[in-house]
Amino acid sequence: MSESPKLLAIREKVRSGERLTEEDGIALFLEPDLLAVGALANEVREKRHGDRTYFNRNMRVEVTNVCVASCLFCSFAKLEEHMPGAHTMKLEEAWHELEMRMNDPGGPPTEVHVVNGLHPGLPFSYYEELLRGFKRIDPTVHLKCFTGVEIHFFAQHYGMTYEEVLVKLRAAGLESLPGGGAEIFDEDVRHRISPDKATAAEYLEVHRVAHRLGMRTNSTMLYGHIETFAHRVDHILRLRELQDETKGLQAFIPLAFHPDGNGMKNLPAPTAVDDLRTIAVSRLLLDNVDHIKAYWVSLTPDVAQIALRFGADDIDGTIVHETIYKAAGSTSPGALGYEELVRLIREAGRIPVERDTLYNVVREHARAEVPEAALKPRERVRSRLPVLQGKQVPS
Amino acid sequence: MSTTTNKLRALGVAYLNARPLWESLKDDPRLDLGLARPSELARALAEKEADVGLLPVAAAATMGDLRLLRNMAIGARGKVRSVAIVADRPIHELESIALDLSSRTSVVLARLLLARRKLTPHLFATDPTQAIASVNGRTGALVIGDAALDVETRFSHRLDLAEDWFEWTGLPFVFAAWFARSGAVDAEHEDIFRVAKQKGLSRVDAIAEEHAARSGLDPASLRSYLTESIRYDLGDAELRGLERFWGEAAQAGLLPRATARFDEPPKSSARPSLDTVLSRAADGERLSAAEGERLLREGSFFELGLAADAVRRRKHPKGVVTYIVDRNVNYTNVCTTSCRFCAFYRPVGHPEGYVLTREQLGQKLQEVVDAGGVQILLQGGLNPELPIAWYEDLFRWMKSEYRLGLHALSPEEILHLARLENLSVLQVLERLHAAGLDSVPGGGAEILVDRVRRKIAKAKCTSEEWLGVMRVAHEMGLRSSATMMYGTVDSLEDRIQHLVKIRDLQDETSGFTAFFCWDYQFEKGTHLTPGENGTHLYLRTQAVARLMLDNVDHVGASWVTQGPAVGQVALRFGADDFGSVMFEENVVSSAGTTFGINASKIEGRIRQAGFKPVRRNVRYDWLNEPG
Repeated sequence: MSESPKLLAIREKVRSGERLTEEDGIALFLEPDLLAVGALANEVREKRHGDRTYFNRNMRVEVTNVCVASCLFCSFAKLEEHMPGAHTMKLEEAWHELEMRMNDPGGPPTEVHVVNGLHPGLPFSYYEELLRGFKRIDPTVHLKCFTGVEIHFFAQHYGMTYEEVLVKLRAAGLESLPGGGAEIFDEDVRHRISPDKATAAEYLEVHRVAHRLGMRTNSTMLYGHIETFAHRVDHILRLRELQDETKGLQAFIPLAFHPDGNGMKNLPAPTAVDDLRTIAVSRLLLDNVDHIKAYWVSLTPDVAQIALRFGADDIDGTIVHETIYKAAGSTSPGALGYEELVRLIREAGRIPVERDTLYNVVREHARAEVPEAALKPRERVRSRLPVLQGKQVPS
Repeated sequence: MSTTTNKLRALGVAYLNARPLWESLKDDPRLDLGLARPSELARALAEKEADVGLLPVAAAATMGDLRLLRNMAIGARGKVRSVAIVADRPIHELESIALDLSSRTSVVLARLLLARRKLTPHLFATDPTQAIASVNGRTGALVIGDAALDVETRFSHRLDLAEDWFEWTGLPFVFAAWFARSGAVDAEHEDIFRVAKQKGLSRVDAIAEEHAARSGLDPASLRSYLTESIRYDLGDAELRGLERFWGEAAQAGLLPRATARFDEPPKSSARPSLDTVLSRAADGERLSAAEGERLLREGSFFELGLAADAVRRRKHPKGVVTYIVDRNVNYTNVCTTSCRFCAFYRPVGHPEGYVLTREQLGQKLQEVVDAGGVQILLQGGLNPELPIAWYEDLFRWMKSEYRLGLHALSPEEILHLARLENLSVLQVLERLHAAGLDSVPGGGAEILVDRVRRKIAKAKCTSEEWLGVMRVAHEMGLRSSATMMYGTVDSLEDRIQHLVKIRDLQDETSGFTAFFCWDYQFEKGTHLTPGENGTHLYLRTQAVARLMLDNVDHVGASWVTQGPAVGQVALRFGADDFGSVMFEENVVSSAGTTFGINASKIEGRIRQAGFKPVRRNVRYDWLNEPG
């Protein structure tokens, strides 16, 4: 099989541990042979993690969709309170979400992941109380709450520094930050798609401060809208630079843009080959970040399963109640059962490892006996298509 | 066949020249001996219904990973008399040759010998009884067995294939030998066969007499045939001849590469590495069933994908991925087969049973025409209330009112009509073809292994019947697709057997345009437990199918079952076709949701995957130039 000289050179670099450049990253996005890029990312992934593939038992709570920002890609946020569809949970409602899960058959979730709109009318104490309430219900649950954009908003809105906000929230129970809100760092693109929220520098600074305070964070990238490959590479490399400085990033999560019902609905969504390539290139460029996550809500469980061979070593968790992607037309189910995640990973020939938020192993499962095909019967994850009539035959 | 445990199950062939090898095994209490046609024998070995069989060497190469029993074979050094091309004119003047397909080994040998002489007559398949009748002017025939002995002096020109082989290579030719599945036969067993051979050879005179009495052939001539022409040994020269034949056939792309092996403790060096198998497959070499199984079991995700992608690139170097705009219409859901994986059918008399009216059909067809569609895929249940005349009327009406290709009625439905009307498959197909049938969809193949079929679709046709309908259709000039539904009760080996059966028929007819596979789609209302599946398995299976089916032009991504995202990735795992643009009612879920993607979305996905989209018709002709 003929391979481009560029790809061969990049492979040499990767194998000898040499850091890839911006130019290499763009070349990887442009390389026609998708499988060759995937195979190289898989090499790196297997060198780091073998077949181990992480997931956790988590739940999402989105307490408000009222938001002062007007991001073009967002189908979730409603601008103002009292607009149709706008909703802000009472604290008791938010806490109830966790209470309901405390007797789940496999055990309660080990992580609560809170992401919200930028609500102008709530007191800061609302958020502190929110966290304290969760901890009252389950003192062991890990609270991974508020994106860098929200922290920036809190600082601005309530007149505090990032550090002050984080210290206060930590006192209330906050333990780490999720990666959302990164979008695309390039200033021009960012200005066009999300003009009125934290800038790239501000987002990165929040994470820098959090890391300095000893907190771990994740980061993301929203791709597949108006950005170019060069913008993606630039985004990833800015994170690599931050990581060189702080070592505080745990996982990088590329997020596919979904166009339904938002300000960019005329754009096509990225297709599976782009999803897989973005995962692979991320794995290859981010030589200092441990984990690349195939977020199944964004990718669909089917493509996420394939992504476990394209560089991803984490598939996120059970999630339970996701509404942001749902609003943008995602066909993924709202939740996957624990067993479902284990099967998804086993069918990909990998070893399912249940982790906590900080990647401590909770439970390691056995791999499937037959490579890349689990033996246990299962009901198919119906993420993509309704079932066919019994005798559907492609022609 | 007896199910006594530990008894060796052996299969012989009823042919005269094979009789000395198996005759005295008949009464041996240590094994069960059955007799079968060579094709049936290969199937039984492959599906583990037999441990050892007197297998033609072409079939042995196709299966792969078999063990020879020592020093026993049916071969010839020089003239064999029973395998020859006969004609009224010199062989090099022939424009066409009728092939008796009962011996694939002889057909492959004939192809090699003709190619060596740089002769390219048109080869066509006939019934064994029809081959001789075809000889006329510039048409000759490949004749085999008694038929060949019977006409030994009838034709002025005759090319004895074993003799010609000997002239070319200086080596004996081996037609068949005892082949066992690996590990099935031990030294003690081999002795049984060796002793049987000795006994059989001591009885050749009697065997010749008996056969002469049955066949009317001359006893002296038969005796000389069994004692002088046929050689029952498998010595060094015969082994060299056998390996030379396998080598030439592999080089010509007619058979998978094979080596002669005996049951010995496995030497690791004897087994080619997986990389070797993969790179040979990527280069277009034919793979044996054993190699296919190994790839499906052990091949790594990317290596399978890259090898399948290389094959796709070689077969379709222009970087085009095709799709068709058509509509799947299910004209009735009334069906008598009650397949366990099907949620669509309703039994006769059920209140939810339907047959579409002309008005309903007309509306659907007009929508296809309006959408720029080129074809209707028409399939339905086996409805005993619809006679063939109903279909003929329907087809004629559809053809006169709408200019659409008619891709209709899977083999199961053709067989149903044949039974219902007491007609042959050929008659049914001829009548439907005359009424407008253009091509036959490959549905209902499921897994072409009867053990599996009996479990999932008891009332459905056998593998042989399914393949038989396709054979007849192809010979009439109709084209069809081939499909595979895996993931019910089938094993990995069954899937490979399925592919080999399709490949074998394709060697005969070249009538399959494309192959599609998908996993069993579990849904409410079906009666089978879902089996192993997942998107990895789909991509791996499709890649291995692309590698095994070296003689099928197209492999289609089944996005309808796997979802458009996985369908797109499948284009990098050997597929060069994206199936059809669907109309919403094709895909109806038990939950009542519908899904469809339109042509521009399909084209977008094809482009994103790095290919040029082109619309096609059912024969995979391009309807536009790649833009």
